[in-house]
Amino acid sequence: MARDAFRFLPLFLPGAQTARQPEWQPSVDVYRSRNGWLVKFDLAGVHPKDVEWSVAGNALTVRGARRDSLMEEGCRHYHMEITYSRFERRVEVPGDLSSARITTEYRDGMLLVRIEEAGT
Amino acid sequence: MNEEPIVPLPEPTPAAPAHSPATLPVLPLKNTVLFPFLFAPLSVGRPGSVAAVEAALGGEEKTLLCVAQRNGETDPPSPDQLFNVGTRAIIKKMARSEETLELLVQGVERVAIVEYEVKGAYLVARCEPKPITEDASPEIDALYRSVIDLANRAIEIAQPQAQPSFQQLVAGSPDPIRLVYLLGSMLSLDVQKEQALLESNTRLAALQLLHGYLAHEVQVLELRQKITTQAQTEISKEQREYMLRQQMRAIQDELGEKSPEKAEVEALRQRLQETELPDEVRKEAERGLARLDRLPSMAPDHQVTRAHLELILELPWKKSTTDVLDLERTRAILDEDHFDLKDVKQRIVEHLAVLKLNPQAKAPILCFVGPPGVGKTSLGQSIARSLGRKFERMSLGGLHDEAELRGHRRTYIGAMPGRIIQAIRRAGVNNPLLMLDEIDKLGRDFRGDPSSALLEILDPAQNHTFRDNYLDLPFDLSKVLFIGTANALDPLPRPLLDRMEVLRLTGYSEEEKFEIARRYLIPRVLQDTGLKADQVTLSDDALRHVIKHYTREAGCRQLERSLGRLARKVAIRFAEGHTDPVKIEPEQLNDLLGPELFLPDRARKEMPPGMATGLAWTEVGGEVLYVEASRLPGFRKLRLTGQLGDVMRESAKAAQTYVWSHAAELGIDPTQIHNSGVHIHVPAGAVPKDGPSAGVALVSALASLYSGVPVRSDTAMTGEITLSGLVMPIGGVKEKVMAARRAGLRRVILPRDNEKDVRELPDEVRRDMEIVFVEKIDELLAQSVPGLRTATTS
Repeated sequence: MARDAFRFLPLFLPGAQTARQPEWQPSVDVYRSRNGWLVKFDLAGVHPKDVEWSVAGNALTVRGARRDSLMEEGCRHYHMEITYSRFERRVEVPGDLSSARITTEYRDGMLLVRIEEAGT
Repeated sequence: MNEEPIVPLPEPTPAAPAHSPATLPVLPLKNTVLFPFLFAPLSVGRPGSVAAVEAALGGEEKTLLCVAQRNGETDPPSPDQLFNVGTRAIIKKMARSEETLELLVQGVERVAIVEYEVKGAYLVARCEPKPITEDASPEIDALYRSVIDLANRAIEIAQPQAQPSFQQLVAGSPDPIRLVYLLGSMLSLDVQKEQALLESNTRLAALQLLHGYLAHEVQVLELRQKITTQAQTEISKEQREYMLRQQMRAIQDELGEKSPEKAEVEALRQRLQETELPDEVRKEAERGLARLDRLPSMAPDHQVTRAHLELILELPWKKSTTDVLDLERTRAILDEDHFDLKDVKQRIVEHLAVLKLNPQAKAPILCFVGPPGVGKTSLGQSIARSLGRKFERMSLGGLHDEAELRGHRRTYIGAMPGRIIQAIRRAGVNNPLLMLDEIDKLGRDFRGDPSSALLEILDPAQNHTFRDNYLDLPFDLSKVLFIGTANALDPLPRPLLDRMEVLRLTGYSEEEKFEIARRYLIPRVLQDTGLKADQVTLSDDALRHVIKHYTREAGCRQLERSLGRLARKVAIRFAEGHTDPVKIEPEQLNDLLGPELFLPDRARKEMPPGMATGLAWTEVGGEVLYVEASRLPGFRKLRLTGQLGDVMRESAKAAQTYVWSHAAELGIDPTQIHNSGVHIHVPAGAVPKDGPSAGVALVSALASLYSGVPVRSDTAMTGEITLSGLVMPIGGVKEKVMAARRAGLRRVILPRDNEKDVRELPDEVRRDMEIVFVEKIDELLAQSVPGLRTATTS
């Protein structure tokens, strides 16, 4: 039986618009701090060694991968909702970051990136 | 709050090279292709595929390779059944149900398979990324826009409500290839085409392919829409009407108004309450009304029931006019409208007198018989006027279907009440004067005999419960005054004739016509032409001349036409400016009306032996006819010509027998009779003649022939003869005598028994004519062939 063209369109549309090269994007909160910015990445289950970040212009990019590892011997997936594999997230903030001081910290499964603007 | 140790991240590193494991489990796809960047829900049930997915789930990044099968039927597919370009995908979500795995996978990148390997129950493949060339050119831009237009068009047709989100999508995806993949997955393409799209190595190639697919899709969609629309138009028209009606009803309910049908039923109910009806009829009407109330207006029975109900309500069950029972007035009106016709007028006045004494008296059923144009119909009208009754007339001429009179049963489509009920309905009262014109010209065929239906209608003993097939309720016709008219009584069936009281209207004499013209025709003609009485006068001589030489008829129609013609000729003069009054004298008639149409029947001055003058009666009046007899030497028989009917032939034979058997008494030489036969001819040869009344003329002609003594040329004769020598009475005396007078004959021989009829003759006719009555043939011959006796004695 021939499928009706475009019948599934609404079904596809919400997902389709986020289809990007990286498999998933972590959620991000951005705070204004006294002397700069605090960016919080939701990276639960991501091992810190699997995360890397870079700065270019006014953009901060965090990428990496969430890898699944068997929690216990002899178990297998029955249901899966967490997205694994590579992620990448680019956050832009006003101002040039190349001269800013950047520190990172990993707390409660969140990656905190502190940006202290130069001259402050 | 339990603080976790803060793990410092390594310093920024340059972006790692694309992470793509060399070997991935392969998920074969049936009938579909997974494109990069797109999500697809998949249901995995095949053991090999489940194993592949399990393997992927066991991996750290949940990555697998989606490759379409060349043929969806193969299971499990071998490596050569799979395409060599696939999509690396990750499993975003997964759920198990029974034996199948429900997956949401996301295409990540296009890969080329280097090599397949069997690994247990599933396949793995070594692959390497095969990114698409990011080429750019004006052609690509053009194709891209065209693809968007086509897609817009397709969505407009297939799913208009998705259009806004599609436009958002287009705006949000700057990379053409994503749109290509998205649209490619939405089209109902077969695997080969989808795979071809996936395998396109450049944007240009992919766009070209997609453009082709889309254009085809749009065509198919448009065609399908057209077909669907066409099919739906018909249905939707009716549905629309139905919907509108329902809405209208709803609105009316809302407004507290009644639907038209209900309002109609209400109106009928109202009328039913106001109308006076016999009990039986009211019961039937109420039943009909209840039925009408239940029937939807679309039902065919609705119309039928309503029409029937309306007929019931319109019929004058109890409505009647009051007769004007004033004998003097009636007489005056009848005299005013019609000249003479004493018998008929007398009969009407008699009926009136009876009604006066007994208002319940049944109306008589009269039948006027007479030639055309003598005023039968107009007499009916003036009777109605004099009695103060409504007048309705219907012509029965050519009517040959019984149902026309009595109606069709309501079961038939288009059924109607019969003519009688329709006439009553028109009259609006139950005692009109109903004129049944041309009752002698009723036809009859396989559909029934309308004259039989008339039997019921015209029988006062039955017609108070006349039942029309359509009405199906008894209606009282006994108050209706029926008057039939006929030109002749012969075609009427005896039982029908028996029910009617026949009143004869004979033809008019010249004198009567003269009076009628003066009193009725000339004023009418003048009024019709717009002339005033003082503008034109017609002298008495001229009028007589017109009657004599321009008309020959029993009635007055031809006369009226001739007078009308005269009046128009005069009107032309006035219209042209002539102002003096015109007086028409006989001499001018030739100019005004043309040459005389009829020369008077000149009595033949000299008649040889064997010729006699007879008189005939026709439907249009009397006529003179000559009987010619001639010897036929060497021929022993009687030859008869001139279109004679059986009765007349027998009459001729009787005449011959009488003359032969009385030859001695009549002084005829028997040898003469035996030596030769006789030929009798009655001109004009083309006109059929019949009847016994030429007997006396035949016997006179034969006696004259054998004796050699001519018949008196100034004498006309009529009468039936018998072999025993009697002369029997005949009909139509008035017309016959008048015809003789018109022909210039001054002497008429009639049977003794017709003496009473002579009283009908107008005075001037009686004055002019010498009328001889005879009882026996020898008396007749003495009068008609006066030389006979002398011839024998000498």
